[in-house]
Amino acid sequence: MSISHLILELVLMPLVAFLAGLLMVLMMRRIGARLQRRIGPPFFQPLYDILKLYGKKTQISHGMIHEMGIIMAVGGFVAATTLLPVPGMDGLADKGGIITLTYMLMIPSLGLALGVGQCANPNGSIGISRALTAMLAYDIPFVLVVFGAAYVYGTTNLAEMIAIQQHQGVSSWGITQMPLLALAGMMTLPAIMGKQPFEIYVAPAEIATGPMVEMGGKFMGGLFVMQCFQLYIASVLYATLFLGGGENWISFLVKIFLVVEIPMSIAFLFPRYRTEDVLRLMWKWPVMVGIIGLAMAMN
Amino acid sequence: MTVLDQLLVLSALTVVVTLLAGNRSFGGWLATLMYAGQGILLWQMSGLGYAATPVVESSLSFQVLNQTLHWRFDALSWFFALITVGAGLCSSWFSSGEWGQRYRQSGGKLGLLHFALAFNVFSMLMLLASGELLSMFIGWELVSWASFLIMAIGSATATRYAMRYLTYAIAGAMAILGAMALVYSITGSFEFDAFKAAVPAMSPSMLWMLFGLFAVGFGIKMALLPFHLWQAKAYAETPGPGAAFLGAISSRMGLFALVLVLVQLVGMAQLAKMEIPYTFLSARDLLAWIAVFTIIFPTYTALQQHDARRLLAWHGVGQTGYMLLGIVIAGDLGSAGGLMHVFNYATYQAMLFLVVTAVIHRTGTSDLNKLGGLVARMPISFFLLLIGIIGLAGLPPMNGFVSKWLIYRSLIVDANPLLFVAAVIGTLGTILSVYKLIHNIFLGQLRLEHTEVEEAPWSMLLPMVLLAAVVFVTGYFPGLVLDWVSAVQGAVGLPVLAHHLGGVAMDKGGLDMIWIVSVLLAGFGIGTLVFFAGGRSKRVHQLDNYAGGHFLTAETRYQYSDNFYPGLMHLIGPWYRKSFRWIERGFVSFIDILSQAMQGIYRNTHPVLYLLAVVVIALSWVVSQ
Repeated sequence: MSISHLILELVLMPLVAFLAGLLMVLMMRRIGARLQRRIGPPFFQPLYDILKLYGKKTQISHGMIHEMGIIMAVGGFVAATTLLPVPGMDGLADKGGIITLTYMLMIPSLGLALGVGQCANPNGSIGISRALTAMLAYDIPFVLVVFGAAYVYGTTNLAEMIAIQQHQGVSSWGITQMPLLALAGMMTLPAIMGKQPFEIYVAPAEIATGPMVEMGGKFMGGLFVMQCFQLYIASVLYATLFLGGGENWISFLVKIFLVVEIPMSIAFLFPRYRTEDVLRLMWKWPVMVGIIGLAMAMN
Repeated sequence: MTVLDQLLVLSALTVVVTLLAGNRSFGGWLATLMYAGQGILLWQMSGLGYAATPVVESSLSFQVLNQTLHWRFDALSWFFALITVGAGLCSSWFSSGEWGQRYRQSGGKLGLLHFALAFNVFSMLMLLASGELLSMFIGWELVSWASFLIMAIGSATATRYAMRYLTYAIAGAMAILGAMALVYSITGSFEFDAFKAAVPAMSPSMLWMLFGLFAVGFGIKMALLPFHLWQAKAYAETPGPGAAFLGAISSRMGLFALVLVLVQLVGMAQLAKMEIPYTFLSARDLLAWIAVFTIIFPTYTALQQHDARRLLAWHGVGQTGYMLLGIVIAGDLGSAGGLMHVFNYATYQAMLFLVVTAVIHRTGTSDLNKLGGLVARMPISFFLLLIGIIGLAGLPPMNGFVSKWLIYRSLIVDANPLLFVAAVIGTLGTILSVYKLIHNIFLGQLRLEHTEVEEAPWSMLLPMVLLAAVVFVTGYFPGLVLDWVSAVQGAVGLPVLAHHLGGVAMDKGGLDMIWIVSVLLAGFGIGTLVFFAGGRSKRVHQLDNYAGGHFLTAETRYQYSDNFYPGLMHLIGPWYRKSFRWIERGFVSFIDILSQAMQGIYRNTHPVLYLLAVVVIALSWVVSQ
């Protein structure tokens, strides 16, 4: 593959990710609305929201790190999308692999944490303390899943994982090869996406707490963009590990939207968990299921 | 005179110079130049680091009891020596300028610090150059006493912990001496080759005894569990540049000796063959599990610290676990990761300690609950600390990621999920803890008394910038360090890692940091464009903040720092029962009771009777012979 072709892919992949992410945000909001017997926002609402936030006249900055944090959060996700193969584009899949991706996904969290930290608002810092604790909670079952997948496919290269699954059809998909690991992954997905019932650290409904407390205008807009990428990456990663990736764009989109849709529909029905309960829950059920699944997969 | 001779002589001269002129203002700079000279001499031996020359001999040698003591450098020694001299250079540079002046004015013994530093470097070079077990033991003792010297310079607390270290160090030295006596009784020689040749014929019980004694001896220096209690406090209380030096390299001498004896001479294959009865574990697995527990427990202890230096020192204990873990996995990936982590860790740990020292220099405290918001006053230090913590946490694009990646990847190849998850748990704990470090020092609200604080002076910033550059560049081009690491692998008989400038090319998922870091930087570039596409932002004062309807004033402390992770501590807090402290105290009490009992028996109760019994037994033994 020529360098120019690769660079074209590297430009296209984040764009695709952003557009799909916007649609996922829309879908999620619509699901929430339907469950609460509302109609939900119109089709272009996520885009309007971003444009509105970026166009605001009052943009309050608490300093250079506040701004840098948002840049790191968005930039880290933009870079991470190039490690995730989509139909027809492998990007940098062979140069990073799943371990690199796992660690790359922590950079946006660190960026956000730094940005919020400079706001000098204890409510923001409390949100970050909760967010990092939640990361510790869901990453342990997540790395079990990562290890299981890497072991079963015998590679850390995501493009190769997809090729192996597509070569042999549904019977070789991760979800049939390692159903318990797939279940553990599904249980951690809402936490990875930072959505209900594990969204206490974001505290979207409370003005005074959570990382967003000092965020407005384009800072908030940056976080909105980040959310789009977050949903996209989590769903594509899940589809890559367990659902055979995308044979073509249609099956790819169907799969990744299903991955967001199923846990979201269930998750909206649950009450919110406190931070220590997130830890307890994540370290108990998904880890237990994951370890059993791993034992079965490695047997 | 070989290059190695020149190096050792220059190092000894540095000791003399610091002894004579360490208290003068030019003494530190002269020593710094001499460290640079040692670096140049080391570079003249760079054939070792690129596997071009196998060994550089020293002409120093003498005979004791029919044994020849001699000294030489191979790739392993060279690799560790490079780190040692680099750490010495940066620490000395840092303490030669304004920091040293202030330290001397405030009553500190600057000359002693410089001398201790030079003596440490010299003794470490002697240890690294040792050519057989006897000279290794001499080097080992020199290093132990040198590090005691540098630990004991600080306050009364420091001296107390240094004394504690001394107890551990002597116990470790005795274990090593015992092991050496065993080796000598079998082979009749202290030479490495004789030992290596005798290993296959040794009985399992003998091998276990040697393994146990050497592992305890070296493990104490490395602060492996359960011998980890001495290290963090002893390192943290040392004056800043000393702490940076100790943290970067001192306890790595234990790892060096372990690699030399257990990997190069005994061999990992031999350790893997030594089964522990009634378990599935071998001696190698035992080491791997010790390594993993050394990663987890100290890391989560670090998370609870309120003092920046102690937090870093506890991480130092934890990071040792990664190095050992990588090395005992022993494949080409794992051992490269473990060895590379020695280098990577030294670069960012030295820098982190220096940044914290710079903060103490300006604010007078390293208490995480008494700082905050300093990024506004010390932005360069902030960025240096940021680079350091990204390295320590093992995230891209810094070098810490590459070595940890190699270790993780090798655990996947080795099909070892439990060790893998345990290693990741350590990394996650590190991320939480280093965020607390940077948040509580540099982010949040700037305290009233710190509004006039200035950035650290350039004499302190430059060595840190140098280290930061190394952390980033070796993360971008890990092949630079992997060249040396693969030479070490070849020298100690481990499988050699095939690598390129950007990382590792493998069929089943490699790593190319050049692409990864480039795409990450490009991502930040796009993030910047997206960010500045929005309207102009207005900087506001830190008190212009949402406070639930209250007006904030400068007198109100509006900061979140104490008990930073209450949710986590709520869950894991009760798990901290200071069990290791109990074990240590129990052991101390046991020794105490034992010594009192012995004293009672020999001195107070019927001494004549015992003497008579011993004489009778001895006589009957002599007669029966």
